[in-house]
Amino acid sequence: MSSFLHSIRWRIQVWHGVILLVAIGAFCVTAYHFAWDHQMRRLDRELQDSERLLIRTLMDYGQKPGDAPVPPEKLAEALRAHQITLPPAVAAQFTGTTYFTLRDADGSVLLQSDNTPADVRPLPVPTFGFGEDVRSVGNRRESLRASSRGFSSVFGRDITREIADMRRFGLILAASGLGAWVLGLVGGWWLAGRAIKPIATISHTATRIAEGNLDERIDTTGGDSELDQLARVLNQTFARLQASFERERRFSSDASHELRTPVSVLIAETQRILRRERTPAEYHEALQTCQNNAERMRGLIESLLTLSRQEAANNRAAHQPCDLADILRDTVGQLQPLATAHDVQLFADLTDAPLRGDAPALGILFANLIRNAVQHRPATARDGRVDIACRRDGDCIVVTIADNGPGIATEDLPHVFERFYRADKARTGGTGHTGLGLAIAKTIAENHGGTLSVQSQPGKGATFAVNLPVET
Amino acid sequence: MRLLLIEDDPDLQRTLATSLREEGYAVDTASDGVEGVRKALTGTYDTMVLDVMLPRLDGWGVLETIRPAVPTPVLMLTARDTVPDRIKGLDLGADDYLTKPFDIDELLARLRALIRRSAGRASTTHELGDVVIDTAARTVTRAGEEIALTPREYSLFEYLALHRGEVVSRADLYDHLYDEDDDSLSNLLDVHVSNLRKKLGHDLITTRRGHGYSIA
Repeated sequence: MSSFLHSIRWRIQVWHGVILLVAIGAFCVTAYHFAWDHQMRRLDRELQDSERLLIRTLMDYGQKPGDAPVPPEKLAEALRAHQITLPPAVAAQFTGTTYFTLRDADGSVLLQSDNTPADVRPLPVPTFGFGEDVRSVGNRRESLRASSRGFSSVFGRDITREIADMRRFGLILAASGLGAWVLGLVGGWWLAGRAIKPIATISHTATRIAEGNLDERIDTTGGDSELDQLARVLNQTFARLQASFERERRFSSDASHELRTPVSVLIAETQRILRRERTPAEYHEALQTCQNNAERMRGLIESLLTLSRQEAANNRAAHQPCDLADILRDTVGQLQPLATAHDVQLFADLTDAPLRGDAPALGILFANLIRNAVQHRPATARDGRVDIACRRDGDCIVVTIADNGPGIATEDLPHVFERFYRADKARTGGTGHTGLGLAIAKTIAENHGGTLSVQSQPGKGATFAVNLPVET
Repeated sequence: MRLLLIEDDPDLQRTLATSLREEGYAVDTASDGVEGVRKALTGTYDTMVLDVMLPRLDGWGVLETIRPAVPTPVLMLTARDTVPDRIKGLDLGADDYLTKPFDIDELLARLRALIRRSAGRASTTHELGDVVIDTAARTVTRAGEEIALTPREYSLFEYLALHRGEVVSRADLYDHLYDEDDDSLSNLLDVHVSNLRKKLGHDLITTRRGHGYSIA
């Protein structure tokens, strides 16, 4: 949480607060309006009831039972003509907060209650028909009517108490709204914290891993939430990174380790030979030793680079259609001179085996296996042969390279694909034999989604089998 | 001085053995750990050079097997340069180590130091009357004048000088001055002694008939 403006938790909190405030505010305003409208409608109904009561009373005033009531249009005349005293029950209606005033066209009072405020303003008399209005004037609510005949009425009531009630209601509403908002903020903060917490964990673990703790992994609960998926993706990335670092480390460690001996030979031999004058034959021999070791280093470097490249190259999208039989034929052709030199015959039994793959890499794979089979023969052995076959087996193409050499000891079998593992220890330092050939072959086979395995019985030769799926 | 070189790389073994022989050492070689153990247990060596990465039995295994029966000082050659690797070798009884690739002069100097220490001498020069032998420079002077010795003569003289005051038997001298492939006739030793006497003075080396030689 370096800067709170950049913190997701804070940003969520701010947005959450704003949205919550708008929602609660809108709710409170609406509720207040409804309540106010409701209150006004109730007041208006009461005013209309009082008005109806008064008009009815006036229409019946002075009529004998059975007579028709005075029609409304005659009411003004009747009021002008007589001084009217309201019955006490009706007059009582207009004593507290409710008042009324009936006016003539000239504004003179025809009849009004004693509590009528002085500043009552009736509607102006319309030229024809009726005028009606209901309005709030200050702290009064009034229902006004006027007719073109010059008669106008105002029924009103003081609503100071109702306004105070509404104000109180508004305050309570605002207070509860504020309370709900604060509660919402606290809850939101907690929720945002809970949502952020796994991210913080991931971030801490990732930091530790970045600091070099490559073995660490983010704990996944095994769930399927977005964060679990993120953690899994990150873990996979870390695993790939670690594997890549491990490869780098092993490459440099192997390289330095394996190069030390030939470099030692170069230094020791040159220092020895330069100590004093030597015969040409001695110089020749020393230079020969140096050349052998320089070539040995070149072979090592090339093998290490090939291995490193093959380990890094698992891009199957770059694979092209190719035919294993063609690749094997080419490889056998290239290795024929080596085989002849070792007095070994190569026999190839090939059927067409098309698949998608990296043809140069597959060439290296087969060349390494065949070279291995040719070279692992005692120089004294006779009738050496290497049988190379490829055939389709279901969804796979199986390439077998079998020799009739001395075979591989049982204790060596599990290790022959390890880097720098040499089953025939005495042969270390031999040219073109780096102990990496089979490791490279296995890596290439695995890059093609295949396997490389070996079967051997001491004394009965060894058979290497490459199993490559057709659809990779 | 007789030395056992246990190194599996044929080129390195050959060049080291040649260098050491040119320095006057009698050098026996072994190409794997098992052969190395066998020779270390049966031969008489003044020092051993032991590679760590060996077939059949690695250098640490060799040390574990021969110690403490064989007290010969051991210099380990290692391609591993991590501290734990070095500590492991020293704790198993190695007396010194060198990391590949190394300087041949440094190897020779360290071997001289090992031999000197095992003979209980701290100094590289020894005065024997007017004859002074400098084991670091591999020179012998008489009355301030350098005397030219063949490597064999030097080795013989050095061995006797380092064991000054002791009677060194002829068998000892054969064990320490000739490697296993040497089939020099025994009277060659008398030839070397007689040559040394000519060059360094007749009283220097005493013959104890039936026992051997000594320098007083």
